[in-house]
Parts: sequence; C-alpha cells; structure tokens
Amino acid sequence: MELGSGSSRPSDQESEVSLLGGPCTASGPSVNSLKLRSIYVSVSMPWRFPGLTRNLWIEMATSPSHSSPESAIIEQVITEFFAKSLHIILESRSPYVSSRNYSVDQFMSSPSSSCSSSSSMPRDKWFNLALRDCPAALENFDIWRKSNLEPLVIDIILIRRALVPDVARPLGGCLLRNFSGNCDLAREPKSWKIVERWIVQYERHKSSSSKNHKDVRKCGTKNNGGSSCSSETAFYKKTYKRYIILFRSLYVFIRLLPTYKLFHELNSSGQICPLSLSHRISSSIQPFTQEDEAKMSQFTFVPIDTPRGRLSLSVQYLRTLEDIRSEPSAPLSVQFILDYVGSPTTDPFRRLKSLPSAPSSPALVSFTRQHSWSNDHGALASVPLCPSVACSEARGICCNPSLCLPSLIHRNDHSPPVISEPQNAAVTHKNNMSFDEFWPSPFSPTLSPSSPAHLPGQRSPNALQSGSSQIDIAKAHPITASQTQACSSEGKLQIQMDTVRYGNYQTGPTIVKGFPSGKDDTEKLAELPSSSTQGPLSRSPSGLSLLDKFDDSGFACPFADYKDVTESCNRRSPHAVVGAVVQMLMTAAPLRQDLYNLCRPPQVFMDESLNPCVQYDQANTEQSECPASTSETLASVLLKSKTAAEGLEELRRYKEMKESILKQGASRSSDVDNGPRSPGNNDQS
Amino acid sequence: MNCQTCQLKELVVVPTEIQDVLRCILHTIIFHRALGLVRPQDVECEHFEITYVHCGDHEIEKKIDEKIDQFVGWVEKHPNRKGQVCLSFYEVKNKHATWFGNKIERLYWEQWYINLHVLNPKSHGKSHYTKAPVSTGENASEESSSRHAALESSLHEVLFQIIRFANEKKTTFQLYKTLRLYHFHMRSQLQVHQTPLLVGMLMCLRGCCRLDILPCSVDYKIMQAINYFSEPGLYSVVNEAEEKGHFVH
Repeated sequence: MELGSGSSRPSDQESEVSLLGGPCTASGPSVNSLKLRSIYVSVSMPWRFPGLTRNLWIEMATSPSHSSPESAIIEQVITEFFAKSLHIILESRSPYVSSRNYSVDQFMSSPSSSCSSSSSMPRDKWFNLALRDCPAALENFDIWRKSNLEPLVIDIILIRRALVPDVARPLGGCLLRNFSGNCDLAREPKSWKIVERWIVQYERHKSSSSKNHKDVRKCGTKNNGGSSCSSETAFYKKTYKRYIILFRSLYVFIRLLPTYKLFHELNSSGQICPLSLSHRISSSIQPFTQEDEAKMSQFTFVPIDTPRGRLSLSVQYLRTLEDIRSEPSAPLSVQFILDYVGSPTTDPFRRLKSLPSAPSSPALVSFTRQHSWSNDHGALASVPLCPSVACSEARGICCNPSLCLPSLIHRNDHSPPVISEPQNAAVTHKNNMSFDEFWPSPFSPTLSPSSPAHLPGQRSPNALQSGSSQIDIAKAHPITASQTQACSSEGKLQIQMDTVRYGNYQTGPTIVKGFPSGKDDTEKLAELPSSSTQGPLSRSPSGLSLLDKFDDSGFACPFADYKDVTESCNRRSPHAVVGAVVQMLMTAAPLRQDLYNLCRPPQVFMDESLNPCVQYDQANTEQSECPASTSETLASVLLKSKTAAEGLEELRRYKEMKESILKQGASRSSDVDNGPRSPGNNDQS
Repeated sequence: MNCQTCQLKELVVVPTEIQDVLRCILHTIIFHRALGLVRPQDVECEHFEITYVHCGDHEIEKKIDEKIDQFVGWVEKHPNRKGQVCLSFYEVKNKHATWFGNKIERLYWEQWYINLHVLNPKSHGKSHYTKAPVSTGENASEESSSRHAALESSLHEVLFQIIRFANEKKTTFQLYKTLRLYHFHMRSQLQVHQTPLLVGMLMCLRGCCRLDILPCSVDYKIMQAINYFSEPGLYSVVNEAEEKGHFVH
C-alpha cells in the first residue's frame, strides 16, 4: 500500500495506482477515473503534509466520497493519528519489538522508510516524531485500518505464568525462557490482567453548526477569504502542531506509567520471569469490574478538535503493579536453555564425538541448578541414578542433575564430589584452589554442558576437548571436569568415575571408574597423572577391575582418555546426548534427599547398574581407611551454604572454561583419536 | 501575545540530585516545545526510576548540562537555599536601532519556573522545619530514603504537570505563530537574602547556538515565523534537512 513517490507526473501516478491492491486496482474505465482523480489531486494540492502525498492516492481511490482533496488529507491525518498512537503505545509495551533508543545512524540507515522519493516522508516521521518501525504496531494497525476509524482500544495485558518444570518435556521443549518466547503456553498455568487500556477515538460531529465549524470558518475567513475547504486546511495546519505536542506528551507520559518499568525490566533483563506483557487491540470497550476500576487511574489528553470531529486519547492504568509482580523471578542461573546447552553448533559436541552415546536425548533442563551451589559434593555421589536423567543413559553417576553436575563444579568445594567415595568427598585437592578459577558452570547459558570444563590448573586449556580433553580434565580436576563433561556429552555422566578418581588423589586409593570402552580405557585412565603423589593411576590395578564393571553398565567418562570411549560417543548425536543429560537432570531426586543420603554409609548407594562408582567404593578396601572423617568433612561441605555471589563467580568461571574449550576445539579435533596423553604431560600445578 | 507561566511544584533536593532533577525537567519541557523533527532518546535518571526523553540534540544537551553545572556551582557556594530555574520561550522582535545600539526586543510567550529547595546534607540533620536534633545511624538512612522516595514521587508529579500544561489549548495556540526554532532563555533566580541573583543563559535550538551568560550582549539571528504548510519550496528544503537528520528550519 505504500507509495514511494508523490510525483506529479501522470504516468508515475498511474503506475502507482495500478500497483495498489484491493479497490485501488481496477481495470477499464475505473482505472481511467482513478488516473484522472490522481492527477487532479497532485496538481491541485498547494501544500503538503509530510507523508500525506504518499497515501493520498489510496484515499482517493478507496474513498470516492471525498469531496475535496483537503478532506481526504484531513482523513489521512486522522488515520495517521491513530497509527502514531498505536505505534508509540506498542513500542513501549511490546517487549523485544521495541524500537526505542536507536541511534541516529541506525535511523538514517534504517530501511523503515518504504519511500524512495525525497519528496515524501515515511510513516515514522509523521507529527515530527521519528520512530523506528514497530512490527507489532504496523501489523495491528493494518488490520485496524479497515475498520473505518472506529475506536482503537489497546489493552496492555500482564501475563503471569507459573514456572512448572516438566520433567517429561522432550528435547527441544521450552526451557523456562521468558514466556513470550518459545514456551508451550498451553501446558503452563497462567493468569492475566489488563494493566492499561488506551483508547483512541475520533468522534465525528453530528451537527454542522458545531463550534469547530465556527472556528474553521473563522480561520478560513481570516486567512483565505472565506473558502470552506481552504478554511479547513488552514485550521488543520494549526491543529497539526497540537498533534505534534500531544504525541510528545504521549511519548513522555507512557514512560512514566508503572507498566513501563516492567516493560523495561523484561526487555533489558536476562532473567527468566514468569511475567510478560502482551496487548490486545479491539474496537469495542469492555468495561472493567468495579474492583478493577477502583484500582485504576485515568488520564485524558486534551482532545483535539477537527473540522468534522474530535480526536481524543485517554488511558486507564493500574496505579501500582507491585501486588501483581510480587512473585519473584527465577534467576537465570537456575534455568537451562536448550539453545545453549544442546546447541549442535557448539564445538563441545564435536569434541565429544568419541564419547559413548546415550540411548536417549534428554532436554538440557535443570530447574535445581541453584541447589548446586549449596550442594555438598557428597550428595552428588550419593544420589542414585535417576532414570529420567540423561546421565542414566550411561547409568551415570548422579540421578539428580543438580547434584551431580553443579556440585562437581562447585567453586567453594575444594573436595571433589564423592560419588563413589563419600568418605573422600571432602578431600581437598591442591588443584582445588585453581578449580574455582577455571571451572565454568556446565549450565551457564554460554557454556554448553556438552563442553568439557576447563580444569583448574590446566596449562593447556585446549585439553578439554573430547578425548584429549578427557585426559587433561582427569589431570587437573577430573571430578568436576568429568561431571561437566558427562552432563554435556552423549548423555552419560562420568561424574562418578572422575570423582572417585579424583577423590583418591588425596587419600591414595585409586578410584578408576569404569569406562564403557573397556580395559583399554582403564589403561589409559591409569596413565592419567594426579595432582598429588598418589594418584588414581597408582591404583590402577585395583581400578581396572572396576572399570570392567563400569564398562558393563555402559558407564562412560567423557574425560577418560580412552579411545573406545570417545568412539562410542560418536555413535550418538549431540542432541541425543544432551537430551539424555537434561532428562536425567529433570527427573533427578531432590538435593536434600541426596544430602541425607550422602551422610549414610557408602553401602547405601550401592547399585551396580546405576552407580558404578559406588560399587567401586565397595570394592576398594582402601577407601575405608578414612571414611568417617571424610564423610564429616563432606557433610560440612555439603551443608555449607553458597552465596549467590559465589555462584555467579563460579558461573563466570564456567563460562570462561567453556570459551576456552570451544577455542581449543578446532585445534584438538585431531587429538581426539590420538588417544590419551602420557602421564609425563601432566599439567597439574 | 500573553505570556503563559507555569510554576512547577517545589522539589526538595540535595546537591547530588540537582543535576538529575534539572535534566529531567528541562529536557521534558524542551521535548514538548521543540516541534521540529526529533528522534527521541530515552534517558534513565541516575537517582530515580524515571525515564525521560531527550530531543536527541547533543548541542542542547550540552548547553543544558553546562547551565546546570553553573547552578550547582552556585548552590555549593550558597547552601540550604531555595533556588529557581526559569526556562523562557520568547520571540525575538526586530531590532530597534537606538542611539546606544541595537536593542533586541523579546516577547516572552511561555515561562517555566522550576523551584528547588536545596538541602545541605551536612546540616540536613537539623530539620528545616521542626529543628529536630540530628538523627544518626539508621534513622538518618530511613529519613534519607523516605525523602528520596518523596522526591521521586514529586518529580513524577512535576512531569505530569508539564504534560498537562504543555497540552493546554491556551498554551499551544501560542505556538501557531512561534518559531520552528525556539529561542529560549534559562536563568536561575537564586534568592540570597531576598536579593535575586541572575545567572542568565540564552540557548537556541540549532542554527543560533550562541551561548552567552547574559542575554543583553547576544545578537541572535532572527528567525521568522514559518508557516509550516504554506511554502512548498521551503518545505522541500526543510524536508531535505529532515532527511539528513537535522531539525527542520
């Protein structure tokens, strides 16, 4: 419908008219009549409203009842008044489609203007208030345009959705984004409330002897010698400035209302909030209830008189939104977004192509990640596998994803998660000090859980890449790295394996967890250096036996430097792995339950099929050397509350690790199949 | 024409809030009176949860900040005083040649008075009204926060007041004959022992931006009233300027 030029050349006008759809397109005599009318308008118009020329042809073609071009122009101004009002309102109420705070350069280069001629003005410059395109406004107004200047009622609706975690959500489902995004709204309970109602009306005068007409005639007499049409034009010239001021006031006023604060927060905040703003446009006014009416205030802008009517703009708004917004939003750190975690474009998936594949692809969702900050690592170890979690794919270590994965990367826990060795869970490793610095959260939005964590003290950040990364992770902080890797890779959690192994760094016993790849992996694992003089590798003989068991259970450690492990991972798609991990996380048992379980004797967690690490614990007699103290320490660690600042700090580190892993991906891709590194390449500090 | 005057509600501020308050109010007023093509820019107040709007003109913003700094400097030298900032819109008449020089006649058609009661935080413990003893610790912080909340609410009211006044018929009618580019004069009346002290400033929106301290020494280009709709030739020039991102002259 947009015309790009107001050229007075008849040929251009004809072509423009012919391009119009609907009633503007015609054939035969009607076209000729349109041509004549168009030509008449272009020639006779002594002045121009900005942008008016563009749409005038349309008005003339669609409204043959216009007695004069000036009347058509007046009608056009009224139409643009409605459009501008809608634009300003939705621009500051529709999250994610707002065009505010653009730069001049952006505006100048903006393709918003559809006109190609310098003589016409794009829509957004109407009333001297240049705004960028607002798709919501444009889309809605095009629909309303056909209503023939009926009242424009814009309801701003505040929607609150309950954060209901759906453990059965398949891969690709909504991961608690802002609900104006991709969530399946039908599956979530929600309530809504109209917080603002804007009404733009044009009331046509019924009587021809209205005051406006007197003013118009007076204006015409004063300026143009008494012509009624020219008087209307002169009157409109004067009122156009009032339109300008009104829209300036509207632009300022709408930012002073309480809803704008919420809009601003939704637009700028990265938090996942149960609240969202929406709008509804109609031409009828549905009255509020008395209760709602009492809570709302009303403001009416000074109406602007036109020769044939009056334009009015008013708003009813809730004085306060605090009672509606009382529900706090969930911190982003708790939520998992599939795009980040399960993105196929992330390198870690390719890095982990050699990892054993998980049978399912759980969604990477963990609603309890926040608990990871306060989770004791022992709890991670104590958590039985939850079948719904991806880790269960590999009969992994931890059923509670929040327990399993985050605890491994807990920055404040200097002891590795002791899944298989609760008594050793609280053992601190000298690498732990650097763990906090380098260990990114596998669940950070910027870090795919599939990405191997950058282990602390790791001199070679690129080591955390598939096979080679497994080795390096084992070197530095195998537990956390492996846990991260497990949750991120093909759905298998190798948390327990590395956890146990790492736990033995201090205590001595070698906890070489079973890698599904078999003995070869065990051998490779045995080659892993330890941060302490006593490493798991020194215990390889005892660990090898357990590795076989783990191998039977399908447990796989993504950080194991076993070729077979990596090869098995190649069989599964990254999505499947991630989905399995997320599924496991979502169906994991509560943290507190795990915490309780952690304090129980290790035998409680014995489960051949689900917790090979625990099995290993049983088998490893050396683990009983210091069970009590370790459990006590672990309990204290588990019970240690973590602050949000610490969590954020760890999250930052996880992100850094992820970034480093991604960067190393390309260079390490060839190292995946090259097998583990030699122990002599231990990068531990 | 009659000069419309708007006395804005008095605001009780501390020196650290003066800049934020004045920027918010002045830019809001100018945004309502600079009727040329603008590309509005949202600005968040530093001390309040209020978003106001700029015209997007850096020169104006710079000059406003400059004059606010002068006002703040004066406040620092004269603490605990009531101050008033006046933003005047006027029309420059033809110069009248006299024996002593050219005299510029200004016809003020609108004046906005921003009333500020600046409190000195150091002596604020002693209430201006109740002469209560200095409150310490938690009480002081509570008083400060309550005062801040009250100021934010008052600032909201002032902005609503500006919106209502700017849209009044009697006010907007004046604009029909006024300039596209408005001269406006901002001065600070700081009553010190009932002796007014004028810190004058003249600012123009684009084209005549000559900033001087006192108005009488400035010779501004006279901008004729432009009928926006009656001169297509001029409009084309104007349109080109708009396309280039300038204010319409």
